[in-house]
Amino acid sequence: MKIPPHQRYTLDNGVKLILLPRHDVPLIAFDAVVRGGARLDPPQQAGLASVTAELFTRGAAARDAFSFADAVEGAGGIFEAGAHAEALLLHGQFLACDRELMLELLADALQRARFEPDELDTVRNRRIEFLKATKDSEPQSLIGAYGRALLFGAHPFGKPISGSEQSLAQISREQVWQFYQQHVGADRLTLVFAGDFDPQVLRDEVAAAFGQWRAAGAPLLPLAAPERINGRNVLLVDAPGSAQTYFWMANVGVARSYPARAALEITNTAFGGSFGSMLMQALRVKSGLTYSAGSSFRRGSVPAEFAISSFTQTQSTTQALELALETLDRLKREGAGERALDSARSYILGQYPQGFETSADWAAALAELDLYGLPDSYIDDFDGALTRVDASASRQVIAGAFPDSEDLDIVLIGDAARIRPEAARLGALLEMPLAAPDFQPPVA
Amino acid sequence: MASEDLRDLKRLEGARALGVPRSFADAAAQVRARTLANGLQVVVWPDHNIPSIALHNWVRVGSRNEGTGRTGLAHFFEHMMFNGTSRRAQGEFDRLMEAQGGSNNAYTSQDVTVYQDWFPRSALELVFELESDRIANLAFDTKVVENERKVVYSERRLRVEDSNAALLDEQVQASAFKVHPYRIPTIGWPADIQAWTMADLQNFYRTYYAPNNCTLIVVGDVEADAAFALAERYFGAIPARAAPPPVLALEPAQRGERRVLLERPGQNPLLQLAYHAIGAADAREPALNILQTILAGGDASRLHRSLVEEQELAVAIGGGWAEGFDPNVFMLHATLPEGGDLEALQSALDVQLAQLVDEGVTEAELRRAKNMVAADFWRGVSTIEGKARLLGEYTVMHGDHRLLFSAPETYERVTREQVQSVARTVFDAERRTVGMLRPLVEAELTPELAPA
Repeated sequence: MKIPPHQRYTLDNGVKLILLPRHDVPLIAFDAVVRGGARLDPPQQAGLASVTAELFTRGAAARDAFSFADAVEGAGGIFEAGAHAEALLLHGQFLACDRELMLELLADALQRARFEPDELDTVRNRRIEFLKATKDSEPQSLIGAYGRALLFGAHPFGKPISGSEQSLAQISREQVWQFYQQHVGADRLTLVFAGDFDPQVLRDEVAAAFGQWRAAGAPLLPLAAPERINGRNVLLVDAPGSAQTYFWMANVGVARSYPARAALEITNTAFGGSFGSMLMQALRVKSGLTYSAGSSFRRGSVPAEFAISSFTQTQSTTQALELALETLDRLKREGAGERALDSARSYILGQYPQGFETSADWAAALAELDLYGLPDSYIDDFDGALTRVDASASRQVIAGAFPDSEDLDIVLIGDAARIRPEAARLGALLEMPLAAPDFQPPVA
Repeated sequence: MASEDLRDLKRLEGARALGVPRSFADAAAQVRARTLANGLQVVVWPDHNIPSIALHNWVRVGSRNEGTGRTGLAHFFEHMMFNGTSRRAQGEFDRLMEAQGGSNNAYTSQDVTVYQDWFPRSALELVFELESDRIANLAFDTKVVENERKVVYSERRLRVEDSNAALLDEQVQASAFKVHPYRIPTIGWPADIQAWTMADLQNFYRTYYAPNNCTLIVVGDVEADAAFALAERYFGAIPARAAPPPVLALEPAQRGERRVLLERPGQNPLLQLAYHAIGAADAREPALNILQTILAGGDASRLHRSLVEEQELAVAIGGGWAEGFDPNVFMLHATLPEGGDLEALQSALDVQLAQLVDEGVTEAELRRAKNMVAADFWRGVSTIEGKARLLGEYTVMHGDHRLLFSAPETYERVTREQVQSVARTVFDAERRTVGMLRPLVEAELTPELAPA
């Protein structure tokens, strides 16, 4: 898989522009990356970057929130804005005939958002209600937020990107404005367009729409790498009456720049990234303890977490947890096995093209390369790198990137009255109610 | 509204100028369908954009085909179909497919069970072999069945029992239908999941997993003749079986509103309204989809704007319907803020629906909805997976794959009168079920539900 021909430009004010023309369907996709993102949220204001991004679409220039939504939807378009740990990300897709409207909305959102106090209230209050509703109907989807608060502590990765009920309630219009002034500007912006357009025309239009924009007020300081943890901490999040226990166990993993990426992906696919993986076989296929089990690495400009996650009915909590830990021990001790590595390699190679099927896929891929400063070879040479991975490369990755089962932060969401003693056996135990308005564990 | 109407009329010209892309018109001519002697339907759409193929097997069985005391069987089969055959041990299906770069999944609805494979073109023959093997030779091992029963129960706990929204949905659906099996939750009632016997499973397999009850959809880097030849080689020798018993139940016209109140620990009240609607093949289907988009498609939709943004009675509202072989319900569902007033939201919703039925929709709303539906359609057909999904829906649920290629024009022809007419038919308070979930505050919790 090779990146199709594309062009890169930088405007005088620092805006980077990447154009990848493709004419298969009459659509244009864009990704706009504003470097910085949620990691810049002040300690008590988790969610500030994310709220700021959402407000881009809730009133900009002459359009109020409704008119903005109506303009997007009236054209059958998609226009979304949100925060990642290291960037604000705007993503969208429009019919090619609506190119000018798309650019106008994008320029307005980034340069002329209104940040009206009423809209801030709306966004903030709605998010608080969504968090509560998620606890009622999908508590497992919050387990990573609890886990990252426990694992990363005061490091910026410890804060919930979308905010917590407590932190959202404290965000003010002044803070949003200050974040926007300091951390959103031309020198932070990369625009990627992929799809049905004439590159020369679009380049001129982008220069006209973005060429005069100011720079961000503050320099972007590098992010410190988080430290790996030693030993175990356990956070029990009490959901009274829960039918299952949801669990997550993690330590700090590796960064985007990790040199043995191909070996990492093959090894993790074999361990917990496919149906045939060691975790799925152990926890689902052989034991029937769960519907699903898996593992993944989140990799930023610095290492984020490697995490194993699954769930099981309340009475089999210990059995499932022990089996997950044993499976990790087995990986560390014996490796994944030649046959499993070969299979994982074929699996990744076979599935790879489907990640690069549409213009939107290519826009997202190029935005990601740009954000993390990765070369084109990250995509162009990945097939070859996969082919070269052998058992010894996998063993090095297992030793270097996968944690020891004794060194894990563990989160359990479940019925504390029924699983507290089992949780305490795993390590130093902290406990908090699911209804608590924050993800931050209590101080031990 | 005048200026907005003008802006949208300009958009209308833009959309018309766009028309149907030539590549799509060419594709329509390349799609080919064939039915083997044993009744297996095969539809192929060559697309060489990436060196990959999506193959879906649509089996015409869902919870609609189940009866009291044995619910959840169709969904359980979706699991069992991955658990080994008389020729291949449990786990081999995934192991062989992953080793050749393929991945797979499956889902079960009220109407159908769909098996999906995504793989590089080099794995095409293997996938045909594996798919035919499990249609012809599924194994029924007691230990495997008992293990999978636990997996399915875990899935039920995840999706339903730890979810207030899903528990309410299950009760509303079960109340809206008294006779038709659309009353059955697809995952099955808990007691039934525990109760299936080996004889039930074998009987179910013999009845529904026959080539004449399946449709293969093949999309991607393949030519139609090659796919037909593989279908013949691997499926051709599997004998046809008697057609499964038809679903005869007809839901009698509902006479009077039904109400469901669920009281559960939680923070946010939930409201659902289920209105008896139409089936997938009904000529009014495009109009109802347009209506759904006008009501609840996006932040500029009627219900979001009035109830979420302006009146702030809800924090989220959505709407939709399952396009089935038989008429299913059109569902509106809302999440309220903590302490929100369920009755006030329902009254406000009633006002909106009455206004819709009485006054219809504007030309601008119709244009916006058509543009959204059209753009979704073009995004859908830009991937092999999206093409396979749409081709399957039109072949199986609408009865003819060619309808997919006339869909853009069909939607473009929908009129305001048709939208109002279908709104009048559907939004009849006498034919609805109202579901409310009222969260219990701590003082109200029974000892069983209260935290220890």
